[in-house]
Amino acid sequence: MNTITHFYYSPNEYESEKASNSYLMSLIAVIAGLPFPIINLIATFAFYLGNRKGTYFVRWHCTQALLSQFSLLLMNSVAFWWSVTVLFGSENLSNSFIAYLITVFLFNLTEFAATIYSTINTRKGLHVKWWFYGDLTNMICSS
Amino acid sequence: MKNILLQLVLLVVLFFALWLGLSKIDWMELLNVNYLTSKTQLKLGELILDQIKNSGEEYHNPKVTLPLDSILTAICISNAIDRSQVQLHVIKSEEVNAFALPNHQLVIYSGLILETRNEAELSGVICHEIAHMELDHVMKKLIKEVGISVLISTTTGNSGSNLMVNILKTLSSTAYDRDLEGDADIRAVDYLLRANIDPIPFARFLRRIPESKSAIDQHLTWMSTHPDAEERAAYIIEFVGEAHGEYQPILSPVTWQNLQHQLK
Repeated sequence: MNTITHFYYSPNEYESEKASNSYLMSLIAVIAGLPFPIINLIATFAFYLGNRKGTYFVRWHCTQALLSQFSLLLMNSVAFWWSVTVLFGSENLSNSFIAYLITVFLFNLTEFAATIYSTINTRKGLHVKWWFYGDLTNMICSS
Repeated sequence: MKNILLQLVLLVVLFFALWLGLSKIDWMELLNVNYLTSKTQLKLGELILDQIKNSGEEYHNPKVTLPLDSILTAICISNAIDRSQVQLHVIKSEEVNAFALPNHQLVIYSGLILETRNEAELSGVICHEIAHMELDHVMKKLIKEVGISVLISTTTGNSGSNLMVNILKTLSSTAYDRDLEGDADIRAVDYLLRANIDPIPFARFLRRIPESKSAIDQHLTWMSTHPDAEERAAYIIEFVGEAHGEYQPILSPVTWQNLQHQLK
């Protein structure tokens, strides 16, 4: 799912730390933001805004971290509001609801593991490209 | 670009395939959800009913219970509802009130029966409360207002009698959400039509009671806890529309009069 590839140039120590922090930010936000999925996106977006004028390596990883949060926001928001309607509204507990929660949990877990992997490797100055999100970032982020 | 779109489609397909696959597993059975829910409802229903019986005498006189049982049975049969699950309790009280308890228990106060002018009005109220049961509104309301942990603690005996009083108060003297009341009204009209009972008297009952009595009348609990009566009555009449069936009475006029006479 995650591949380590060569970047266009070798990032320096400062850039590696900044890039690694973009993933670290989303990890911390996961803990602080639960169960509100929007907190995660806001934290990553704030970090992205702070670094959008940074070097290409930093911008690239901030963008990848931000994009990965968007898809999670969608599925986590559905899970959150579905849970609210089950607890307080007209929806009933069902197999579909439990299956959805497990699916979302598995996707979150995968993203969490990928984020930890990226945090460690970008800190070493390695370029970690995620499946789908990496190509999408290449398209959006210009050098 | 083509590659990215393909990856996006794959990601979406993977998500839905996983969800669909996991949905095939019977989690409700695996996690004992239904068993735990019905056990909690059974215990809660018993505890709340004990509380009601402490505050008012229950009618066991067949002249009171049989006519009401006939109405309830006719409604249940016409709507494919398991009659044996619904337990009817008529309580002696001046309060104009009726409410559903957990475990399909229907409580009607004699004050409400005396306030209705005919069996169609009473049937409307009964159908409204059955709708709350069938739509699972009773437990939802309790979970929302009291909290799931508190409810579980009551069934395991870790709660005081004050809590049971509060739970009873929640079920009998506060309204459901506007949406839930609306859903119960519409379902009630469906039940009435299927049972060949005219729903218009139910709408008239909703409209009439607040007009005929002072709003501060403390005995008018059912009406004061079911707000927007005028709006709801209009909505029911609109919903019924042109559907005029061949309505048939369940009780004879003599039986209805005897029922009212026994409660006076």
